[in-house]
Amino acid sequence: MKLNTMAAVMSFVSRIENESASFYEGCAAKFPELKDAFLSWSKENRKFEKNVKRTYFGVITDTLESNYAFEGLDTDDYGFETDVPETASGAVSKSREVEDKIKAFYLKAAGLSDGLMADVPRLFKKIAGKREDRRLPE
Amino acid sequence: MSVNRLQNYINGEWVDSKTDEFVKIINPARGELLCESPMSTKAELDAAVQASQEAFPDWRNTPAVARARYLHRLIEVMEENFNELSIVQTREHGKTIDESRGETRRGIEMVEVASGIPTTMQGFNLEDIAHGIDEYAIYQPLGVFSCIAPFNFPFMVPLWFLPFAIACGNTFVVKPSPRTPMSQTKLFEMLDDVGLPPGVVNMVHGGAEIANGFMEHPDMKGVTFVGSTPVAKHIYRKCGETGKRVIAQAGAKNFIVIMPDAEIDKAMVSLIASFFGNAGQRCLAGANLLVVGDDKTYRSVVDKFRDAAAAITVGDGLDESVQMGPVQNAESKQRILKMMEKGIAEGAKLTLDGRNLNLVGDLPGDCFLNPSVFENVTPEMSLAQDEIFGPVASVMRAGDLDEAIDIVHSVPFGNSAAIFTNNGKWARQFQHDVVAGNIGVNVGIVAPMAFFPFGGMKDSFFGILHGQGQDVVRFFTECKVVISRWF
Repeated sequence: MKLNTMAAVMSFVSRIENESASFYEGCAAKFPELKDAFLSWSKENRKFEKNVKRTYFGVITDTLESNYAFEGLDTDDYGFETDVPETASGAVSKSREVEDKIKAFYLKAAGLSDGLMADVPRLFKKIAGKREDRRLPE
Repeated sequence: MSVNRLQNYINGEWVDSKTDEFVKIINPARGELLCESPMSTKAELDAAVQASQEAFPDWRNTPAVARARYLHRLIEVMEENFNELSIVQTREHGKTIDESRGETRRGIEMVEVASGIPTTMQGFNLEDIAHGIDEYAIYQPLGVFSCIAPFNFPFMVPLWFLPFAIACGNTFVVKPSPRTPMSQTKLFEMLDDVGLPPGVVNMVHGGAEIANGFMEHPDMKGVTFVGSTPVAKHIYRKCGETGKRVIAQAGAKNFIVIMPDAEIDKAMVSLIASFFGNAGQRCLAGANLLVVGDDKTYRSVVDKFRDAAAAITVGDGLDESVQMGPVQNAESKQRILKMMEKGIAEGAKLTLDGRNLNLVGDLPGDCFLNPSVFENVTPEMSLAQDEIFGPVASVMRAGDLDEAIDIVHSVPFGNSAAIFTNNGKWARQFQHDVVAGNIGVNVGIVAPMAFFPFGGMKDSFFGILHGQGQDVVRFFTECKVVISRWF
């Protein structure tokens, strides 16, 4: 599905942050040795979603230009499976895939909306940057 | 199935209108009946004004900080109901959900600014204007004010006035647009929730009879209005006759001038939002795209603009993939179609024909138009001169900036005008010379923030003080000068 409005982008942010948070909660329950890391990521993802929404609702304006800026943003490019893998190494590997997809989404969305509702793309970039640090040894 | 009938809000109570005339409120995207709104009677208007008048003495003596606290509570309630408020706007008006959320935010900003009244209402003084004599100016509320609201921003526009009026210590009566009365009803549910004293705010649904009643009522101190120029002129004249203050914000035909050095790729989203946001039903919408430069510049700008307009997705504003909703009702669509036909007859070239509907989803087409672009428009054509208030762009050409400014001045309106350029000299000349109340430099929708006045000149504004900001605080207060000496 194409994401061509700010509302659609916000709904997708909710989806990927909540789905990835649930995925990490499932992984934490199945692999006790990775519990702390996955639970902290889960908590942080839900916080990211909340922060993005708060920022969007705080700066949205009736003179919105962003509705026409999101060209080439498609959910198909950033979707991911959320089945919990059978092994811990599989979970680590999957977590990298999830993080990379989400990071790529935020960076692309930020690039397309930069300068329109500046607070939102700035937060997108910040969240993408925080994901850089999420690397568990395989 | 019974249809919900909206009620009036008078003296702190929700009351059924005694009228037998009701207007059906239809969702323009889906054609569904949402509710019925009463065309209230003169007696109901009188009851609302009387309640306001009776509430005024106590309310004006309520300290400004205490009045502001009601507004703080209102902000909290609005934030809690942000999305619900926005959905109501989309359902009754048709605009996209993002646009409605933007309108909600802008409305809340008005209340935020109005809640600064303990500062913004302050007067001034000077000690010792003569030996032992001091002089000071104080600003006092006047009494009952009113708002005649438009359909295009059904939630936000009354908030340009209401929170400022009551913050200053006045009382207020709103007549929502009979086309989009649900958003104000929702707002008044919130005003009821914050516990304002009865009579401080009142809402009477209705049409011209109520509007004229505002202008004629002896206890009404002033009228605020946003809508078309003919009605604004009528209100201005009538309020002059009856001795009332008036802010009448009227129609528009806004130009966006593209200079040859404009960064057109960066500007494009701004242009598209200006011309087609809110389906063009915005008094700050771009209407005339005026391209300055040679054939190559013209073709480059207009081809990109037309392609971007053609790519806009049109449908139900609650569908998040939709970038433009319907116009507000079927009569609006028919009016716009007639104006387009007149443009074609006058010789303009329709290079993007929005009459060919391409909608997201299976929707009735009664209120929909896709974006349209006319080229070969000349300044004397009706497409250049008349307010269309729909998703129709008229493209024109000029040889240089001086000619462009002459063309901008050829229309009777002066609401807003924008220039896109990287040249500071051109931008400065445009800002200095153009007769319009809101000037944009590389900004497509020149909407002043709540803490600035909403400008307007020529046939776009009738009055002296404007809505919003410090202007509206002055509008809602009277200056009293005191000179004192103590023996």
